[in-house]
Amino acid sequence: MNAVEIRNLSKNFGQKQAVNGLNLTVPVGAIYGFIGENGSGKSTTEKIICGLIKPSGGTIKLYGKDYTDIDVRSKMGVLIESPGCFSNLSVWDNMQIQAANLSINNADEEIRRILKLVRMEGAASNKYKNCSLGMKQRIGIAMALLGKPNLLVLDEPLNGLDADGMRIMREVLVDLTKDGQCTILVSSHLLGELQKVATHYGIIRHGKMIKEMTSLELDKSCRTYIALKAKDMNNTVLTLKDKYSRVEEDEAGYVRIYDNVLPEDVVNYLYQHNILITEIKTDKISLEEYYIDLMNQKEVR
Amino acid sequence: MELQFKNPSFFERLKSMLGVDFYRLFHTPLFYIFLSIAAIIPAMILGTTGMEEGVAPMYTNTWHIIAGETPTYVVNSIAEYANMNMVFIFGGIMVSIFIGHDYKSGYVKQLFTTHPKKQDYMMSKSITCAFAMACMCLTYTLGAVAAGLLTGTSFEVNVGSLIIAIVSKMIMSLGWASLYTFLNVIFRKYFGISIVSSFFFGTGILIIGAAALLGESSILNIFLYGSSVYACLTSNFDTLIVCSVMSIGWAIIYNVLGTALLSKSDVY
Repeated sequence: MNAVEIRNLSKNFGQKQAVNGLNLTVPVGAIYGFIGENGSGKSTTEKIICGLIKPSGGTIKLYGKDYTDIDVRSKMGVLIESPGCFSNLSVWDNMQIQAANLSINNADEEIRRILKLVRMEGAASNKYKNCSLGMKQRIGIAMALLGKPNLLVLDEPLNGLDADGMRIMREVLVDLTKDGQCTILVSSHLLGELQKVATHYGIIRHGKMIKEMTSLELDKSCRTYIALKAKDMNNTVLTLKDKYSRVEEDEAGYVRIYDNVLPEDVVNYLYQHNILITEIKTDKISLEEYYIDLMNQKEVR
Repeated sequence: MELQFKNPSFFERLKSMLGVDFYRLFHTPLFYIFLSIAAIIPAMILGTTGMEEGVAPMYTNTWHIIAGETPTYVVNSIAEYANMNMVFIFGGIMVSIFIGHDYKSGYVKQLFTTHPKKQDYMMSKSITCAFAMACMCLTYTLGAVAAGLLTGTSFEVNVGSLIIAIVSKMIMSLGWASLYTFLNVIFRKYFGISIVSSFFFGTGILIIGAAALLGESSILNIFLYGSSVYACLTSNFDTLIVCSVMSIGWAIIYNVLGTALLSKSDVY
């Protein structure tokens, strides 16, 4: 059974088609990274799943049931765009309201557990409006986690989090899905962070799903490359470009060779040209690079 | 692993919705501010219009600031208009702010994700806001009594009719709260328009205008403002029945309309 199964989903806002025949499948227990550029239809799709906006067409099933079914929906946690909190109330009061919304019996205990999980236990009495952006984001995630949801829909949950906050969130998300009780649909522009936790990916463009795959499939699809550093980088790049067709410099100061070539051949070639290599490694392109490649391919077509 | 989903009953759903709304109501200053306003307004009116030397007081009886002596739909003086029905004007503003914050804060995202049945939302808001307005009726009464004692205005009244009038107006809170909830659902994306429309309907200006054309007709009692006016100091048991039927009737109508609107449109 799939946690989320969307077929031929469409949504029009007047003349604008925000979602156009989208198909999406999220297996139970997955952390599904939902990727796409701004305005590609991610948030619209997530809002439709949460019942906040009406689809123009298509079907949505959550755990095999229609997405409007009360029983499934009552076990959903959501963070769409920003946390839905009352600014004049304290963090604790906001959590209490959400606990009441979810009919949680031992609310105090559950709230304490969740606040501890997102490292916000010390800020419970703070007014929400006085919290920093990162704190607000943690509160939003905490609210989504209340009541042990079976399905979490998180839209840009890592926005505003510092490095430690992101690490905590990664741990929390992985921990939630460990026993298969929780499935997570998460969209983020921080693809590097997403790659560390996602088990499945869906790439959306212009309201259409252009690629769905598992993390293993992504791994296989990602090109390998040789990255190296040398004493004279300018000369190294020029020399490599004479022989290899795809040579690029990356942000970390490495020269990358994407051609299908063995590292020892590159070493020999540079040695013949009196270039001293200080560091060499083979690696695979990241999700971000894969995504950019995919987008560029689609653009060319 | 097989996942178990619990199907919450209607009462369980409504209970959780009410839990949210009452928690919010009691934990925000808004409710207490409006309770205070409701108490201050009659005290101010009675105090300022009854203490000026050489000028006949606007109210010769304290209870006239609660309700008219008889149902008077055509307004000839401010004293005939300014009574407990004003609570429904302030109440409209309070409801607009209360519901408006659901949308402004984005809390509806959480609410409607876990509560797909829109009737739960309409009912819960109507009940909570009706409770708030009924409480405002009580503080309004307390304010009026305090001002009456301070100004030495007469308290002579048929106690039974007075109690029926106050209780009837408190019952009318449900109908008014449902109207305001419905208006706020219509204008949910436009906070300002919600407040203005609530104020406009709360003043009863449409019914006062209709009364000017039709005269003092009991047919006006089928409207919320009409039946609110009908609850006066000569009320009897019939008044209670009329107010209950009208309040509940309009509450059902507005709840059905609001539910249909929310179910057929994008909520956020």
